[in-house]
Amino acid sequence: MSIEISLHKTHRRHTDGKEIIEVEGKTVGECLKNLINKYPPLDKEIFKNGKLHSLIEVYLNGASAYPNELTKPVKDGDKISLVYMLSSG
Amino acid sequence: MLSQEELARYDRQIMIPEIGREGQERLKKAKVFVAGAGGLGSPASVYLAAAGIGCIRIADHDVVDPSNLNRQILHWHGDIGDPKVKSAFDKLSKFNPDIKIEIISETIDENNVDAMTDGFDAIVDAMDNFPTRYVLNKTAVKKNIPFFHGAVRGLEGRAMTIIPGKTACLRCMYHGTPPAEKSPVLGATPSIIAAIQVTEVIKYFVGMGDLLADRLLIYDGMNMTFKEFKLKKNPECDHCGKKIIAVKC
Repeated sequence: MSIEISLHKTHRRHTDGKEIIEVEGKTVGECLKNLINKYPPLDKEIFKNGKLHSLIEVYLNGASAYPNELTKPVKDGDKISLVYMLSSG
Repeated sequence: MLSQEELARYDRQIMIPEIGREGQERLKKAKVFVAGAGGLGSPASVYLAAAGIGCIRIADHDVVDPSNLNRQILHWHGDIGDPKVKSAFDKLSKFNPDIKIEIISETIDENNVDAMTDGFDAIVDAMDNFPTRYVLNKTAVKKNIPFFHGAVRGLEGRAMTIIPGKTACLRCMYHGTPPAEKSPVLGATPSIIAAIQVTEVIKYFVGMGDLLADRLLIYDGMNMTFKEFKLKKNPECDHCGKKIIAVKC
């Protein structure tokens, strides 16, 4: 069972520039945990105080996974996108 | 009624079948509030004026700084030190003397935003911070004014259109507040996003095409790609859903 996680540019410095990381998991939360097992510095980028960082948006197969993003079930071939908020104008 | 001069000026867009004279008349009657006269606000105001939006009101508290000039195309070298809205008024009123340009040199906040947006038909988000974006979003939802969101950083940008009562609002999607910081930005990036925002404003007033509503468009200039994500209205949203609360910014 393989899930693709697409990382925002901000986070790719922890993955040697790789945008797409393949992981396994049955929920979005499990996939993110497995992503962090591969790339531990991503932990503090994606989570804050044990919760999903408020500046991160999670999209599952191109649609917002909000709310309760981490408990959303995933299946083989699903795509998770992590997007970081932009604030400038 | 469009004058002969206006028919000549807007000829190329009146030629677009979905716009025509009727659409141009609608643009002439439209009143658009532009929140910010910086990277997004400069090109947005220029394209709104070029399209013949009848009244454009621009609010910004800042003065022109040399570091603005790589992207804030309304402001030129000779404007350094002047209020941005004065610089914007000087350029836009010469660019299109047939439309009304109004300026407000103040910081937008929860105390003045109602008065600033009263009587306006659309709000363009050209802000550089999220606390003010949330103030504008909440006002747009409360007053039922369409809100055209844009944000940029580096070679990346995003845009979405909010139709209050019908589509996801800014707060349905965003839940955090990025820290205030000096962000890197390539000058062309806000022009691309502002052009998308103005396209949406014009489509809204004319009533043509599919709006970028319930959709977040993300532009990646480094790889020259556009991605789209689907959004949905959050029934529990604290701005537009059941959990409406006072937001202190």
